[in-house]
Amino acid sequence: MSPILTFIVILVGLYGLATSKNIIKSVFCVTIIEAGVILLFLNLGNLEGGSIPILDGIVENIVDPLPQALMITTIVIGATITALALMLCIKIFHHYGSIEWKEVLGKEEK
Amino acid sequence: MERSARQGGKVVFYTPVLFVFVPILASLIIYLFKNKWVSLLVFVSQAALSVLVVLFALYLQANPDQALIVFGGWDERIGISFYNDQLSLIFIFLTIIIWWVILLYVFKENNEDNKFLFFLTFLQGIFLGLIQTNDLFNLFVFIELTTVLVTILIAYKKSGPAFRAGIYYLLVNTVGALFFLVGIILLYNVFGTINIRYLANVIPTHANTTIVKLAFVFMIGGISVKAALVPLFTWLPKAHGVAQSGISALLSGLIVKGALYAFIRMYHFMFIGAQFQVTELFFYIGLITALVGVMFAITQKDMKQILAYHTVSQVGIMMMGLSSLDSFTLYGGIFHILNHAFFKSLLFLGAGVIIHKYNTKKVGEVRGVWKAMPMLSILMIIAMLSISGAPLFNGFVSKYMIKYAIKGVWHKEALFFLVNLGTTTSFIKFSQVFFGPKPNVQKCSNPLQFVGMTLLALLCIGIGLFYQPIAEGLLSLDLSKINILDVKNWLDYAIFVGLGYLLYRFVIAKDFKIVQAIRDFKMTFETANYLFIVYLLVLFGIILL
Repeated sequence: MSPILTFIVILVGLYGLATSKNIIKSVFCVTIIEAGVILLFLNLGNLEGGSIPILDGIVENIVDPLPQALMITTIVIGATITALALMLCIKIFHHYGSIEWKEVLGKEEK
Repeated sequence: MERSARQGGKVVFYTPVLFVFVPILASLIIYLFKNKWVSLLVFVSQAALSVLVVLFALYLQANPDQALIVFGGWDERIGISFYNDQLSLIFIFLTIIIWWVILLYVFKENNEDNKFLFFLTFLQGIFLGLIQTNDLFNLFVFIELTTVLVTILIAYKKSGPAFRAGIYYLLVNTVGALFFLVGIILLYNVFGTINIRYLANVIPTHANTTIVKLAFVFMIGGISVKAALVPLFTWLPKAHGVAQSGISALLSGLIVKGALYAFIRMYHFMFIGAQFQVTELFFYIGLITALVGVMFAITQKDMKQILAYHTVSQVGIMMMGLSSLDSFTLYGGIFHILNHAFFKSLLFLGAGVIIHKYNTKKVGEVRGVWKAMPMLSILMIIAMLSISGAPLFNGFVSKYMIKYAIKGVWHKEALFFLVNLGTTTSFIKFSQVFFGPKPNVQKCSNPLQFVGMTLLALLCIGIGLFYQPIAEGLLSLDLSKINILDVKNWLDYAIFVGLGYLLYRFVIAKDFKIVQAIRDFKMTFETANYLFIVYLLVLFGIILL
């Protein structure tokens, strides 16, 4: 898979953010963008036919370990954010009885 | 010591790591023991932190080679590192001062609420890490952690508007941070490193390739979301308007500046060698942000919304300074960041006291604050004079420095005049709360709150009067060309107040249709994201062509 394809994944997420009317859909669009970003970095750091980056004597032709280490962190952060966002969605549903952006943002605080 | 020896044989003190971990450890202990005496630990950790920072600053002056700290003794290009220079030290001091004030302000009401103190203190550690880090991915992690913690603090009131502001803030800022990450990835792909100092050296070698330009656009685009520049500012009034007053003060006073700090690091340290011709672009983005922010601010009726939109406008003024490559104007921007932190926090805290007393947020319904709370009124008036740029107060000094660069360019001067006029007008509107007969409100004052607010007010006046030695000491800058006793400056300010009063009296107070239309303007979440895409495309188009 080429990096261009991962950019398309990111663009799909952005398209979803700019069009979806539902808060939960927006949350998952952010997740899609994040998946695209992770795939992009893993792709760029990948080496066709390279060995795993564990130093057990063989140190030649290994895959760059840094992208993988960084992307694990990104996955963890992404999980946190998704969890927090979904929790907020539940709370919003309890308060407004809806998870549509229009209905939630339209209601004035009085 | 063994590992320290590998760093070129010098002994390295890991004191800056403590700046991150002292607040975090304190917050964890507070979280574990739900007890109001244990909650006092926030002040202990805060005092320890202040002492450590002062000692480290003195030590760093004597040993400049301690600025860079690489963890684990790795090579500088591979390892994670912290780097402290004059700029980061200024921000660290600012962070600690603001946190003192906020903690003093919120402590009495929240000392039983250990979860709130946990998040608040934890955020300080993360923010101090964001300031010091020398590693791009670390910067991204700290930005994301700040976003998560701030979301929790915004939603902490557990009301409907707080939750919706929280999710709006979280999603918009996460998208921005993810694009920042794409920029990091592209830079790593080209240069094979994510060390900021090292990248600053190597970026000129490939500055003209599309991929580096793309990385610059993504990184600046991501930061712009967090810095609330036009057209990406829509989350800010929502978030700052609904949070508790102490948290609003923290967000407006400091957290927004974290993004501006990242902007300085990226634009003035990392990409400076690439020589992208974007000074004018960022200047105009800042100017438009200032104008749009102030335009919304004068029409609002909610006290906290007025202040929140003013944060947008003031961020625009800071960007006007920060966009410049000329050091006098750039330092003007940095100085304005400091000054704004003091007076805007003071305004939010004061507004919080008023809202608590009167139990309403509407400017029109609050009257007679002067009679009811003279002490608070004096503090608020000091902050208002500062933000509107009156001579003898700190806002004047930094605004003058930013204005200095555009002298003689009439259209820039005219637009800046409008920004100042708008600021003055909306604070004339705000100051109506002082007039009127003594209202019937309960008397309960919290002396701890006033300690912090008085400190901020003293800083506003102190910087306004003694800006020359302060600028000399902090930024090694000669400010002798600013003369606060010059009659022209006083006359300028008098004109602003006069015109502002007329504008308030005959346009804003009449509440015309157009004023109402601007006040009721709402942007949907989809539009905000659409504008983000457009913003990235425009930046990319300008930088690539």
